[in-house]
Amino acid sequence: MRDVAIIGVGYCPVFVSKRNDVSIPEMISEAVWSAYRNCGLTPEDMDAFTFGNMHTFEGVNMPHLWSADHITALGKPIMRIATGGTTGMSAFHCAYYHVASGLYDTVMTVTFEKHSEGDAQVGLAGIITPEIMTMLSLGIDLTGGSGMCGLGGGSAGGISFQATSYLHRSGAGIEHIDAQAALERRNAAKNPYAHLKDPECTAEKIAATPMVSYPIRFGHICPTTDGATVCILASAEKAAKVADKAAWIHAVANCTSDPTTGNLIEGLITDPAEQMSCQIAAKKAYERAGIEDPKKEIDLVEIYNGFAHQTLMYLEKLGLCEAGEAHRMLERGETEIDGRLPVNASGGVVSTNSIGTSALNRVTECALQIMGKAEGGHQVPKKVRKALAHGWGGLMQYNTVTILGDAPLKR
Amino acid sequence: MGEGKKDFRVVSGAWELSGFNFRVEGRGMRLMMRGMKEGKFTGIRCGSCNMVYLPGPFYCRKCLVEIDEPVDVSDHGTIRSFTATMSDIRGNPLAEPQIALMVQLDGCDSWIMGVLRDVDWREVRIGQRVKVRWKPPEERTGSLQDMDCFEYE
Repeated sequence: MRDVAIIGVGYCPVFVSKRNDVSIPEMISEAVWSAYRNCGLTPEDMDAFTFGNMHTFEGVNMPHLWSADHITALGKPIMRIATGGTTGMSAFHCAYYHVASGLYDTVMTVTFEKHSEGDAQVGLAGIITPEIMTMLSLGIDLTGGSGMCGLGGGSAGGISFQATSYLHRSGAGIEHIDAQAALERRNAAKNPYAHLKDPECTAEKIAATPMVSYPIRFGHICPTTDGATVCILASAEKAAKVADKAAWIHAVANCTSDPTTGNLIEGLITDPAEQMSCQIAAKKAYERAGIEDPKKEIDLVEIYNGFAHQTLMYLEKLGLCEAGEAHRMLERGETEIDGRLPVNASGGVVSTNSIGTSALNRVTECALQIMGKAEGGHQVPKKVRKALAHGWGGLMQYNTVTILGDAPLKR
Repeated sequence: MGEGKKDFRVVSGAWELSGFNFRVEGRGMRLMMRGMKEGKFTGIRCGSCNMVYLPGPFYCRKCLVEIDEPVDVSDHGTIRSFTATMSDIRGNPLAEPQIALMVQLDGCDSWIMGVLRDVDWREVRIGQRVKVRWKPPEERTGSLQDMDCFEYE
């Protein structure tokens, strides 16, 4: 396999609730040309494209073909990937395979979501069909409020079970979820490409938001965002010719488990806070990246957290601290931008969620931190040699991991 | 209307062309619902690893072998996780929050979900013992709705 580098990142100018001034292909195009500008390449340099967008959120089944001209892909190979929340990172992994295999030298990953033109709830209803099948097979009657109906408030339901179990297992309290959400909203205020920004956010302010589904409050939940993100990957030879700075891909890994709630591996059944697939993917990624002690070797993390408790939970699942230690790290300030292990310096998914981009943004944020190019004050002061990007999606049971370094992996 | 929005024509996109029809009740589901009419749960055990599923799949998800051994599962169990939802499925606030549970029934490895009634949601804890409140026998039809809810033991 060949070494592969990230040599360019492009965002659309703003990530907000409603981009009424551009169409979907136009918004994507902004990110594409931003990426070209940022690395000095032109469309002639691009050998192939991978494309990521959530299934059916905009009701568009082939957005990659609809926007082919706007992303400069006419006459070039392209494929679209959709794996739920992880879509952006799966599309990125696909581009990595393109280059690592030796088939292509320079590949662009294009991702977007324009929630304001679609309906995420309708999209989720379509995506969630297998989940509903599983719920029915578990005896959950969706037709009424009596009997075994366990859904209640709808989509936040599954996550609430996860958060309750996480709190029970870790010893953390709901006040830690409040504090984590507040930290990320403050980080977001320093990121020009974040959506929900609040430089003065406090745990008390989050605690004052309404309870949606215990223990999840409104302030713990991600927004629906319009946005597009692009990442350019290149072989070592190409990178040496054209790039002044690069972030090197040391490992990619992914893992699925049971669609119920993501845990039917190793006999651990249906605890949505187990997330065994995350643990397996992380272990595989560390092996591939030659990392023996992730607690010591990883300098910075970007975690996919549609809900604020997931930042803490996944820190543990990724092996970046012991079980039950994440909320202690938060209390000690170790996960702040200037902390020992900055976590979601970007503000995370809980502050910005244009879903197709969200898992790719975890990767591009790690890459920018390694290259020292994070804008607006969220560049961490420490030197970042190795960074980990995490994606969570599928039907709650799918996890992706990418590990980046400041130099090619020593094999 | 924001600057620039006038440049766009909004096209309504609601289609009512057809629907999908998925079959959900498999072998294990039929077994479970038949038992529910009698006020009991029937799961399926894996002869290889002894895992008990309710409702049972026709293969063990862990051992990947075919399984078909019916086994009684208690209607008493332990709360493994829970939530209290403050609104209905359309987002309307509920006068009384609805408590939803994940329960591990005695003698079963998989968990089921259900509603807990007659309890203050602030008092619910993981580890609390619960039991099924069945509908009266004359109202049971061999469906998931034969179970009324969970209640404290």
